[in-house]
Amino acid sequence: MERREVSFRIYRYNPQADRTPFYDNFRIAVEKGITILRALNHIKEQLEPRLTFRAFCQAGICGSCAVRINGVSRLACTTQVWDLLTGSGDGPILIEPLGNLEVIRDLVVDINPIMEKLKRNYSWVRPAIPEEEMGRKEHLVSDGEFETINAASDCILCGSCYSECSMMGVNRRYISPPVLLKAFRMNNDTRDTLGCERLREVTADNGLWDCTHCHRCTEHCTKKIPIMDGIHRLREEAFERGMTQSEGARHARAFYDDIRDLGRLKEVTLPLRTKGMLGSLKMLPLALRMGLKGRRPPLLVKRIPQIERVREIYSRLEANRGER
Amino acid sequence: MDHRYDIVIVGAGGGGLFAALEAVRTNPRVSVAVISKVYPTRSHTSAAQGGVNAALANKDKDDTVELHLFDTVKGSDYLADQDAVEYLCSQAPAVVRELENLGAPFSRFADGTIAQRPFGGTVKDRCCYCADKTGHTILHTLFEQCLRRGVTFFNEYFLLSLEHADGACQGVIALDMRTGAIETFVAPVVILATGGHAKMYWNRSSNAAGNTGDGQAAALRAGIPLKDMEFIQFHPTGLRKSGLLVTEGARGEGGYLLNRHGERFMARYAPQKMELGPRDLVARSMETEIIEGNGFESDAGSYLELDLRHLGAEAIRKKLPQIRELSMHFEGVDPVEEPIPVRPTAHYAMGGIDATMAKTAVRGVYAVGECACISVHGANRLGGNSLLDILVFGKLAGREAALEAPERNAHGITPAAVRRVADEIGSYTGHERYERYGIIREEMGKTMGDNVGIYRVEERLRKGVEELRALRERFRRIRLFDTGTVYNTNLIQILELKNMLDLALCVAVAALERQESRGSHYR
Ligand SMILES: Cc1cc2nc3c(=O)[nH]c(=O)nc-3n(C[C@H](O)[C@H](O)[C@H](O)COP(=O)(O)OP(=O)(O)OC[C@H]3O[C@@H](n4cnc5c(N)ncnc54)[C@H](O)[C@@H]3O)c2cc1C
Ligand code: SF4
Ligand code: SF4
Ligand code: FES
Repeated sequence: MERREVSFRIYRYNPQADRTPFYDNFRIAVEKGITILRALNHIKEQLEPRLTFRAFCQAGICGSCAVRINGVSRLACTTQVWDLLTGSGDGPILIEPLGNLEVIRDLVVDINPIMEKLKRNYSWVRPAIPEEEMGRKEHLVSDGEFETINAASDCILCGSCYSECSMMGVNRRYISPPVLLKAFRMNNDTRDTLGCERLREVTADNGLWDCTHCHRCTEHCTKKIPIMDGIHRLREEAFERGMTQSEGARHARAFYDDIRDLGRLKEVTLPLRTKGMLGSLKMLPLALRMGLKGRRPPLLVKRIPQIERVREIYSRLEANRGER
Repeated sequence: MDHRYDIVIVGAGGGGLFAALEAVRTNPRVSVAVISKVYPTRSHTSAAQGGVNAALANKDKDDTVELHLFDTVKGSDYLADQDAVEYLCSQAPAVVRELENLGAPFSRFADGTIAQRPFGGTVKDRCCYCADKTGHTILHTLFEQCLRRGVTFFNEYFLLSLEHADGACQGVIALDMRTGAIETFVAPVVILATGGHAKMYWNRSSNAAGNTGDGQAAALRAGIPLKDMEFIQFHPTGLRKSGLLVTEGARGEGGYLLNRHGERFMARYAPQKMELGPRDLVARSMETEIIEGNGFESDAGSYLELDLRHLGAEAIRKKLPQIRELSMHFEGVDPVEEPIPVRPTAHYAMGGIDATMAKTAVRGVYAVGECACISVHGANRLGGNSLLDILVFGKLAGREAALEAPERNAHGITPAAVRRVADEIGSYTGHERYERYGIIREEMGKTMGDNVGIYRVEERLRKGVEELRALRERFRRIRLFDTGTVYNTNLIQILELKNMLDLALCVAVAALERQESRGSHYR
C-alpha cells in the first residue's frame, strides 16, 4: 500500500485560550485510501488530543463533518487525501471551519441558525389528514410526484451550501439554500397543506428574492442536489400565487420584462439596491448571459439585434412552464 | 443549570423522536425535553438504507400480520418475547401509514401505494422503503414534525447519569458540550433511546462513532438489568478501514472472496454455493480465514479481498455504481482496478436495557429502540425490523409516558449525585494519569473482534474477558489531555470509551455463559 508523509494546515481557535485564531501544522504518514476524517482522527489521537471537530457516521450520511478543505466546503469523511495531492505532492492540505457560521471551537461551528431558519420557515409537512385518522390509510402518491421531491429529500443538513452561499456572505439573516430547498421540498409535496403560508414566509425580507442566482450552493452540495432548480420553482410558484407585491418580486418582473422587450436591462431605471438586485436575474439565466456578459450598464438602452432569439427563449420557457 | 420537565427523552434517533412526538400529541400540556449528543438528524437512524417491514400487503396481497410475526419469531431463533413481537407486527401497518401521513417520502408502486421489496429472512415482500435512504427520510420527517409541535431540544448534551430514588425515576444529569456545564434534568419520566452499542468492535463495526451504548451503560450503573447482551449481529462484508457495509449485491453479481494466497476459500466451506452461502456462514468462514492467518495484513488489521475485476469495468459501472463509489470514497480503491478490502463487521446489537413493553424495572424509566431489549429480535434480528422496533415502541413509550407523567412527581436530584459525576470528570485530568484513549480503544476493538467476534470459542472468550478486565483497570489511569470546557471532544471520547468498556465486558461474559449456539451466537 502506497504511503506518504503529508502536511495538514488546520485552523485552530479555542475561545477560552486563544485571543485570535491561528493555524497549526501537522505532518503525518498516511496510507493511500485514507479520508480527511481519518487523518483528523489520527492527528487527534496521536498528536493533538485537543483538536476539535465533529464527526459521527463516517459514511457521508449524517452531515456532521462538513469543513472547508483547501477553501472548499465538503465532507471530511468522503474526501480522499490522495485526491488532494498533485503528482508526488505532500500538501499542505488546508482545513478550516465552514463559513458564514460562528466558530465554537476549531472546526466546530454553531449550526443553530440553520435550525432556527428551518423552524421559522415551516420546514415540515402539515398533512391534510386529521389527527384522529392518522395511520388508517395511505395517501396515494404517483411515482412522478415522489420523483419531484426525491432529490430534495436527500439533504443531510451538512451546511456546506450555507457556507458557500454568496448571499450568506453579505447577510447572515438570509434564509439560506438548505432552507429554501426544504421549502421547495415541502411545497411540492402533494400531501402538504401549508404551501401558501410557507411561501409567504419564504418570500419575506431576507428571503427567496435575495438569492443572487450564483449557483454556488448547487456546485458545492455534498449530495449533488440541484438546489437551484428548487429555488427556481419556488419563484415560479410565488408568481403563480400572485405573490408579486414584494420588492423582490417587482424586481424580478422588471428584469423579465426588460429582457423580453430589449434583450438587455434598463439598469438606470431600476431602483438602486444593494441586495436582491442580482437576485432577480434568476428568471432568465440564459437571456442574461447573452445580454449582459462583459457589458457595463449603458445609459441609453437599445434593443439588441438578436432580440428575436431572446423572444424565442422566452416562448420556450413559457411553454415549459405550462408543461409542469 | 437545573431544568424541570414532565418527560425527558434521551436520544433523538427515530425512537426518541417518535416518543417525543407521540407524547405531545397525547397530552399537549406535558412538558417534553429531548436531549441528544448530536443534532437529531445526525442520529444513526439516518444510516439505515434497506427499509422498514410492515404487512401492508401492497406487493404480496396475501401477506398478513401473522406471517410477519412468524418470520420474526423464527428469525429470532425462538428467543424473542412473542407477545411483544405480536404487538410489533400488528402495529406495523398503522405506524408506517402514519409516517407516510406525516410526510415521510416513500418509493411508490404504479398504483400510488407504498412500494415494498424483499428483505432477508421473510416469506413475503414486505419491506417498505424510500430509495436507499429509508432511515434518513424517516428521521428527517420525525424531526420536522417535532419542530412543528415545538418540542424542546437540548442538542449536543451528553447523558452522564440516570437518577432514581425509592424505585422511582428522578431524572438525568447531562453535560452541555458547548459550555462544559453539568446540568440536571429533573423529571418523573425518562425515556432512554440512545441507540446501539455495536461500536465496541470499533473498526470492525458498521456503526456510527457514537453508537457507544451510553444509555445502556447509565442504566446498568443505575442498577437496571441489561438482557441478551451476547447477541451481536455481524455482516460479512464490511470495508477494512471503516467497517462500512458493502451490500450483498457485490457477491450477488458474482464477486469472489479471496485470501492472501489468492484462493477462493469459500470452496472449502460451501463448495456448492461458494460466495452466495448464507450470511452467517460466509461471515464465519471469513473470520476463520483471518484467524488462521490467511488474511492480508495492513495498518487497519487483517482483511480479505472482494474481487470484482473479472466482472469487467462495464458491468461494475452499470450494475454496482454505489458499491464502486463507496469503495472509492472510503477506501480509495476502484473495484474496476483493484479488489475491495473487506472483513466481517459488527452491525446490530440485539441486547440492551431489559424492558417489558418499553418499561424498565424502575418506575418512570422507559427504554426503546436499539438501546432496549424488549425483546422483539431475540437471538437475531430480521433486516427491516429494527426501524419498525424504534417506531412502534417509541410511539408506545411516548403515549404511556404522557399518561403517566401528570400522575407522578420527581423530588429532585441530590447535590451529592451531581458532585459524584463532576468529581469523576475532574479526576480525568490528573497528572499522575498516563493511559491514552486511542490505545485503549484500539485494544478494546481488537480483543472484541478477535475473541468475542463471530466465532465463539470458550478459550478465546475467556481471553477476551480477561483482556477487557485489564483494559478497564488501565482505564482508571486514563488521561484527559484537553482541560478546556468548551466543546471538549477529548472528554466525550473518554466518557464513551468508559461506557463501551463496561458493556463490552457484559457482552463477553454473557457470550461465555451461553454455551449453546443460537441465532447470531455461534459456539
Ligand atoms: C449501516 C446500517 C444500516 C441499517 N439498515 C437498517 C435497515 O435497513 N432497516 C432497519 O430496520 N434497521 C437498519 N439498521 C438498524 C437501525 O438503523 C437502528 O437500529 C435504529 O436506527 C436505531 O434507532 P434508535 O432510535 O434506537 O437510535 P439512534 O438512531 O442510534 O439514535 C440514538 C440517539 O441517542 C443519542 N445519544 C446516544 N448517547 C447519548 C448520550 N450519552 N447523551 C445524549 N444523547 C445520546 C444520539 O445523539 C442519538 O440521537 C441499520 C443499521 C446500520 C448500522
Ligand atoms: S444561488 Fe442563491 S442560495 Fe445558492 S449560493 Fe447563490 S445566493 Fe446562495
Ligand atoms: S443542500 Fe446539500 S450542501 Fe446543503 S445542507 Fe443539504 S446536503 Fe448539505
Ligand atoms: S461523519 Fe457523517 S457525514 Fe461525515
